[in-house]
Amino acid sequence: MSTVRQYELVYITPPEITEEALADLHQQVVAVVGRFGGTIEKTENWGRRKLAYEINHQREGVYVLEVINGPGAMLAELDRRLRVIDQVVRHMLVRVDEDLAKADRARARRKSAMAARRVRRGLPPEPTETELHRRREEDDDLEGGDTFRGGDR
Amino acid sequence: MSDFDREGRGGRGGAGGKGAAGEKAGGRRTFFRRRRVCKFCVEKIDYISYKDVKLLAPFIPERGKIQPRRISGVCATHQRALQTAIKRARQIALVPYVTD
Repeated sequence: MSTVRQYELVYITPPEITEEALADLHQQVVAVVGRFGGTIEKTENWGRRKLAYEINHQREGVYVLEVINGPGAMLAELDRRLRVIDQVVRHMLVRVDEDLAKADRARARRKSAMAARRVRRGLPPEPTETELHRRREEDDDLEGGDTFRGGDR
Repeated sequence: MSDFDREGRGGRGGAGGKGAAGEKAGGRRTFFRRRRVCKFCVEKIDYISYKDVKLLAPFIPERGKIQPRRISGVCATHQRALQTAIKRARQIALVPYVTD
């Protein structure tokens, strides 16, 4: 009924949380996601990290990141659940598929633009190894050239 | 703000301002030069993630505010992306709202 989108969920728990509690939390997320027919693509435990500011008089927290695929309705439920759980001091849900797709498009566009430019100049579409090497050296020279031009203006 | 200040921070100002400063400063320009290029364009970073604190850190000065692009030289498109990334990072305490 609804389209599947990709989201990222980050939640922070107090630093003294036990392994079991952490696993239980993860299970709760899995359960909600499963109910909405979503999948968890990746789970990353960042471990204990210093917080940039105090939350509930705590200076540290355990961060967990989950990359989730699922429908939008899942988010409301996930958000509601996480809000209620005492073990989660902070959480954030962000939709990422659009931005990632945009980044992919930008990369593809740049690549094809470069290939087109090269073909117009009568070169093979992909730069060769030796060219890449030479360009790296030229780049160093260019920086000096830039400064000079800047000073001239 | 003096010319000196402006150059030191790599401020661009308008085209007119630049010309005036350039004439006055002359040789000094090269000394205080700052490459006015967008870091994200140069390094071809398409997606600015809120999770990458190392990437965001240079754009968050001491005070915790977001550095204006007139100073950092970031292009408008990337400044917008950077802004959302920093604001998200703040929400999950990866980056401070304020530091005093």
